[in-house]
Amino acid sequence: MNNTLLELENISYKYKNNLILNKVNLKINSGEKIALLGKSGSGKTTLISVLNGTIKPTQGVVKLFNRSFEELDRKQKCKITTIWQDLRLIEDLTAEQNVNCGLLAESNFYFALKNLLNISSFKKAHKYMQLCRLHSSIYDKKIRELSGGQKQRVAIARSLIQGSNILLADEPFNNLDPKLITTIKNLLLDNVDKNNKKNSPKTTLVALHRLDLLNDFDKVIGIRDGKIFFNIKTTNLKKIHLDKIY
Amino acid sequence: MNKLKFNYTSLSFLPILVCIPLGYQLITNIHFGGLKLFQEFLISAFNPKIDNEIIIIVINRLNETILIGFFSWLLSIIFGAIFGILSSNIFYKIFNIPNFFFIIIRVFLTIIRSIHEIIWGILLMQIYGINFSIGIIAICIPYIAVNSKVFAEQLETIKYESFESINQINAPKFSTLLTLIWNPIINTFKNFGLYRLECSIRSTVILGLFGIGGIGTSILLSFQTLNFRELWTYLWSLAILIILSGLIFKKIKFNNTNKILSIFFILVFFITILFSFSYFLYFIFNNNFENFNYVSSLFKSSSYLGLFDFLKLILETIILSLLSTGIAISLPPLLIGIFDNNTSIIFIKFFAFLLRLIPTPVILLTLLTFNNPSLSLAALTLGLHNAGITSKLLLTNLDSQDKRYYIAMKSLGISKKTSWLLGLFSQQAKSYLAYCAYRSDIIIRETAIVGVIGSVGLGWQLQESLSSFAFQEVTIVLIAYSSIAIVGELINGKIKNSLT
Repeated sequence: MNNTLLELENISYKYKNNLILNKVNLKINSGEKIALLGKSGSGKTTLISVLNGTIKPTQGVVKLFNRSFEELDRKQKCKITTIWQDLRLIEDLTAEQNVNCGLLAESNFYFALKNLLNISSFKKAHKYMQLCRLHSSIYDKKIRELSGGQKQRVAIARSLIQGSNILLADEPFNNLDPKLITTIKNLLLDNVDKNNKKNSPKTTLVALHRLDLLNDFDKVIGIRDGKIFFNIKTTNLKKIHLDKIY
Repeated sequence: MNKLKFNYTSLSFLPILVCIPLGYQLITNIHFGGLKLFQEFLISAFNPKIDNEIIIIVINRLNETILIGFFSWLLSIIFGAIFGILSSNIFYKIFNIPNFFFIIIRVFLTIIRSIHEIIWGILLMQIYGINFSIGIIAICIPYIAVNSKVFAEQLETIKYESFESINQINAPKFSTLLTLIWNPIINTFKNFGLYRLECSIRSTVILGLFGIGGIGTSILLSFQTLNFRELWTYLWSLAILIILSGLIFKKIKFNNTNKILSIFFILVFFITILFSFSYFLYFIFNNNFENFNYVSSLFKSSSYLGLFDFLKLILETIILSLLSTGIAISLPPLLIGIFDNNTSIIFIKFFAFLLRLIPTPVILLTLLTFNNPSLSLAALTLGLHNAGITSKLLLTNLDSQDKRYYIAMKSLGISKKTSWLLGLFSQQAKSYLAYCAYRSDIIIRETAIVGVIGSVGLGWQLQESLSSFAFQEVTIVLIAYSSIAIVGELINGKIKNSLT
């Protein structure tokens, strides 16, 4: 049975005459936990932006559930969630309001208004913020008042609350201390939220730099100069592979 | 030979050179016929009329002014925000609407904005006669366009990354829009909206001078009967109103997270829209538009305005704007720089307050008591009024500025004036010039007010054409006015962008 969720077919992306992605082919199957390795500027962020549909490739097709991105309706596009490297939180809103933004896709206009007016108790947001080890004292703080690590976890909570099937994360462990990295990694990969399984991403692709975190991933993809150099099981990863991309 | 180099500091003082031709014309035009009247006008400021009768009139007239000012402010802020959203990039990005509509709305608002509320008021009064709602509509039309520009500018500051992150969540479009614009709209209202209430009250007063009602009408009547003591009673009561409203708004702290306050604002927002819409329907169904037929027949009237005369009027309006802007830019730093001590600053602040308080037509009429009507006199009036506004901004900014450079320079033995110029003012010069660029937009529009009274430029021609029901001429003058204002706005926009 074909269980491919996301597929890139011969994808190239040019920006100001620079070829950022060069004929990339990639299949991501349901339930896979993939680590994306590569130097800074190798094309990791661009690849993630192509996968989530933010960037339209210059050439090639992106398919989600075997349908090209253009053919998908709003609800189908909601199956992907992204944790951005630059977090992309709304600075003027509070931590809680930002996390609630993750629920906007499945809610109506009234929920958006309630969120901005802060006229409800947002238990779901609190639950995810607690999972990300965010203390209740920061719920009402504006993003600009938070530390780097707190902002990082707000962005993670906002992505997790969406309950999407596919999670794309661009260096999500930045600004986190070692203990928190373990907690967050378990959240992203291990589906800690057993009571509410539908809200845990089943398929994950994480761009990262730290090789000591690779153990829990099924596959590793190596990218350099916009080209995929290897796409192998984590257990098969050897120094020779890493030498190709670093 | 050394080349002459300009910097922001010298550019702030250079426009004072306009005083040379201006002063020459003012001196040659001086007459002493009304000097006694002018003296009486000044003395009356310290001896305003106070009795039961006038207090009742003041209360009634202020009530009218507050009502017109408040309702025009409320409507213009709410509809300004709505049009601000409709003319912002973010709206078109979220709804994937072609940029064509965005350009149409922006051009439409620019044209509406380019014509001063006085002109709207005079036109509407010609068509519908004098009534309460005409005052509100006349102020609302340009104010909505001005406010929408400010709201739109704030919405342009929304980071692309924020838009991208919410867009990527694939939320319904209205939820996305609301989430992104909520805080910029609230913050603009907090920082700018309350100041606009003061502007609305000033505009109501000026419209009153043209007969719309409120304290402005009383000011005009007392001036015409040369009852200066009564005039100053009205002016001081207006001053108290402006100071009180400023104090009240300083005390009000708007908290975005205050639930009751937020719900109250949303209710006011929707009730105002509902009320405006109902009034609009009432206006449509209760008006037989006979006046429109009358006006349309007048449009067929021929114009006697010669091309040369018309071009001369346009040139006069441009020169009037430039001279006034020159005074408004240079006079405040010059006075503050020369008289840089605590007592003088208090006097400058008081004088600036009076210049802001007294409506420009009254300043002009007062100056006419000892000077013949001329372009220079109109420019001086407009320049002085706007210098009152620019000096308030400059003094506020200088007060809040870091004074370490100034203190360091003084401790080195450098003179107080040089230390002020290089250690204090030079830090402010760039932002001050940027504000003056914005102010000159307003000065161009305000030439209509002094033009109508001071027999100068297109404003005077507009009054003449309206009085003789030559609506073809009125249309030509309005197009010319609008064109000058739009070109001025474009040039000032470029200057402002290069300074910020």
